[in-house]
Amino acid sequence: MESLIFGKTSRRNVLRGLGVAGMALAAPKFSFAADKGTVVVSNWGGDWNDRTVRFVEEPLVESQGIKIVRDLGMEPERKAKLLAERRLRRGSIDVMHLNQGDVYEMHNQEVLADIDRSQVANFADVPEPLKTASYFVPWLYSGVVIIYNKDKVPNPPKSYEELWDTKWAGRIGLTNQLYFNYVMMAGLLKGGNVTNTEAGQERLLELKQQTQPKIYAAHQHLQAALVTGEVDIAINYKARGLQWAHDGAPLAIQYPGEGAIAVMFGACLPKRAPSPDLAHVYFNAMLDRKAMAQLAEASFYAPANGAAELSPELRAKIDFSPEEQKALNFPDYAHTAQNTAAWLEWWNKNIAV
Amino acid sequence: MASTTATAAVSPTPPSNRRRVSPAFGLAAPASIFVLLGLIGPLALMFRYSFNRFVPSELMVSALTLENYTKFVNDGFYQSVLLTTVGISALSTVLCLIAGFPVAYFMVRLASPRWRSLLFILIILPLLMGNAVRTAAWMVILGDKGLLSTLMAALGLSPVKLMYTPAAVVIGLVSVLLPFMIVTIQSVLEGIGRNLEDAAESLGANHPTVLRRIVLPLALPGLLAGTMLCFILSMNAYATPVLLGGPQFHMMAPEVYQQVTKAMNWPFGAALAFILMAVTLVLTASANSIIQRRYRKWSE
Repeated sequence: MESLIFGKTSRRNVLRGLGVAGMALAAPKFSFAADKGTVVVSNWGGDWNDRTVRFVEEPLVESQGIKIVRDLGMEPERKAKLLAERRLRRGSIDVMHLNQGDVYEMHNQEVLADIDRSQVANFADVPEPLKTASYFVPWLYSGVVIIYNKDKVPNPPKSYEELWDTKWAGRIGLTNQLYFNYVMMAGLLKGGNVTNTEAGQERLLELKQQTQPKIYAAHQHLQAALVTGEVDIAINYKARGLQWAHDGAPLAIQYPGEGAIAVMFGACLPKRAPSPDLAHVYFNAMLDRKAMAQLAEASFYAPANGAAELSPELRAKIDFSPEEQKALNFPDYAHTAQNTAAWLEWWNKNIAV
Repeated sequence: MASTTATAAVSPTPPSNRRRVSPAFGLAAPASIFVLLGLIGPLALMFRYSFNRFVPSELMVSALTLENYTKFVNDGFYQSVLLTTVGISALSTVLCLIAGFPVAYFMVRLASPRWRSLLFILIILPLLMGNAVRTAAWMVILGDKGLLSTLMAALGLSPVKLMYTPAAVVIGLVSVLLPFMIVTIQSVLEGIGRNLEDAAESLGANHPTVLRRIVLPLALPGLLAGTMLCFILSMNAYATPVLLGGPQFHMMAPEVYQQVTKAMNWPFGAALAFILMAVTLVLTASANSIIQRRYRKWSE
């Protein structure tokens, strides 16, 4: 074989060249051999991920020589991916950040493994009432409260029920993302509970008739509406209200008399995770006392770690008082999983139209 | 061996044919296999899913039922979503046609080659960035406190609410689809000889008549291709209706997405996707057939 550029090229030379090229390509693998491995983390993007990277992943996981590959997106896509991987022998995700309701749903689909708490030393700091599921690492939580513009609403509604009043017509903002919380919220009226959702749907129709709430696609749109005065009252997570107030909006929080609907965020371990041991290292880092305190301060979510090093002022601001904690209404996850698709359809047909 | 030689002597063509077909098949095979696996495979799977049953606690249960299709037929909400989708797509396509043809004609007939190249680059420039990015820019322009409102306020006019309205979706879709329409029509107009228009004018036809009797009939294949392209893209639009239409505006593609990802109802999501595809195909094929018939009549 005659090469125009390099002169005569024998078969042996070609094979030798290919061998050298192959070794060059394989070289990075040798350099990674010193690493402890790779953990694939599925998480929300945006500031949620930024905080996770800053307070947990960089200082507590990557510093140990563990490489993190991030798979970022909204939870519907990430859940769909987990389900789609169900049939594969080996999945692609080691750690998935979700809220507890979604984790329950995924557990029902048999795509999650139990967490080995003996490998997660910091689990000892999690308050007992929050250790509800063997397949879930509780992390940060908040509640659905009444956020109001304190300059324009001198006498805010003290309960969810007080929102059902024509005096709030055109002044209430809701987000599409929390449709299930609104159905449960309406179910709590008149001494109801979070499973009283059929009555809740009826009451939401009454709310629509009485107050014509404005519906926003995302939390950020609702924040903008509060800032510009398009709405004066928002029903959303306390953590978001505190964040928006911190950003400069004249907002205050009213804890609802019925007790807030609670939301718990955390992480889970897919059954076919490629690196379950590293996932447990990650879970332990998530629950680190210092990291939890930093996260709570930055995100305004209450930490699911009783020993998180929070200042008393910060704890008073972001956490719920013992009475408020007691009154929190955690969703009935089985009921939610059973009905959420129907609620979404109902919401689209009746409220978001 | 002898028989082969004998056959070759009698009829030399078949062996050479075999030689010609074989490499052609080999060349076509990778792309064909890719299309089969990458397009038809998932489509077939989704079609099968559309006959499954949705049970909230188990999500998708294997079945062979038409209930997802009957749900669509019996539910006025989803029919109104489909009608909105068809209406918005038709309107956007017509607007693209009305706005696109003069630009394409100007580029081909009136602009100098230098201007033509510049215009062409300007027209395809928006395609270099993502649809979602362009739509986000429209959000900044059309928002309640956006550029348009500020401009109107500065001119002493009362601001018009456009954001989260069907009008915003149409504006966004037209801006996304217009380059496709212009480029498609332009490529066909390039092929129509200028001498045909000159001949018509020399025989006494005025310019509107030349356009109507000569240019439009000859450009019809391009108009048809551009229209189909825009209509199909519009029927399947996702980012524009979601970002500019807001949570209270519903079109089919976002509805499919919502069923699959938010409600986890893959069977109904798959059924909606196939209904959308079937309606798009039927409408496009019907329009194609009607216009082709008209074209033949014009040609006679």
